[in-house]
Amino acid sequence: MNIRLTSIPVADQAHALTFYTQVLGFVKKTDVPLGEHKWLTVVAPNERDGVELLLEPMSFAPAQTYQQAWFEAGIPAAMFHVEDLQQEYERLLGHGVHFSVLPTAMGAVRLAVLADTCGNYLQLVQL
Amino acid sequence: MTYYQQQLQQLQARLYPQPEVGDRLRRARHLIDRQFADPLDLGQLAAAACYSRFHFLRQFKRYYGCTPHEYLRTVRLAHARRALLAGQSVRDVCFAAGFDSVSSFSGLFREWAGCSPAAFRQRRAKSNFGEAGS
Repeated sequence: MNIRLTSIPVADQAHALTFYTQVLGFVKKTDVPLGEHKWLTVVAPNERDGVELLLEPMSFAPAQTYQQAWFEAGIPAAMFHVEDLQQEYERLLGHGVHFSVLPTAMGAVRLAVLADTCGNYLQLVQL
Repeated sequence: MTYYQQQLQQLQARLYPQPEVGDRLRRARHLIDRQFADPLDLGQLAAAACYSRFHFLRQFKRYYGCTPHEYLRTVRLAHARRALLAGQSVRDVCFAAGFDSVSSFSGLFREWAGCSPAAFRQRRAKSNFGEAGS
C-alpha cells in the first residue's frame, strides 16, 4: 500500500487551480472531466511523480460545514515542505497572500500558515 | 486569535522556550543534508550545533525523534534510492551515498525499502521499460 494522493476541499476548482499553480507554484498533473466537476490534481514541479494533491469539489453540504469550522479555528487543512521558509514567505507576500501565522520557530522546524483563498489554511514547514 | 494560533503559542512556551536550541540543531541537520556522503561523526555534528556530544545527542533525539546517526542513515538511503532510480550501479550508489561497504548498504537498504538495492534497480528498470513500451 502506498500513499500516492491526498486531497483538499475547494469550492471552485478553476479558482483553486489558478491559486495552486500560479501562486503556490504547483503544476497540473491530471484534469479529467467528471460530470459537473473534474478529477483535478497538482504536483510539485520538482517531483512530478510524487504525491498528487486532489483539488476536491465540495458538493456535499456537511463538508462545507466541516471546512468552515476548520477555517474559523485557523487549523491548516494541509502542510507543505519548503526549502527556505523566509524566501517563500516573501515571494507569496508579493502575490498578496495573507498569512495567519508569520514565519515562526517551533522546536527544530520553522513554520508559517497562509490562506489559500479557497476556504483553507495551509501550513508551510521548513525542517 | 484563532484556536490554532493559541495552540502554537502554548506549545512553543511549554516545549520550546529557547528558540536558539532549534537553530543550533538545524545547523547540524543541514550539515547532514549537505555532506551525507562524507564520514560524519558525532563530534563534527555536535560541533556544528556548538554542543557537547552527549547533550547534542539528547537534544537531537528530543527535537527530531531519532538520533543523528539514524537521520544520517535515512538521508543516505533516500539518496541511494534516487541514484538507483537514475540507473546507477549498486556499487557506485553505495559509496556515493557514504556507506562503507556494499554488504552493509545492501542490508540496510533491504530493511528500509523492503528489497535489495539490486532488486529495486531491476524492478524499476522493468517498470520503465514497460512504460516506454506501452
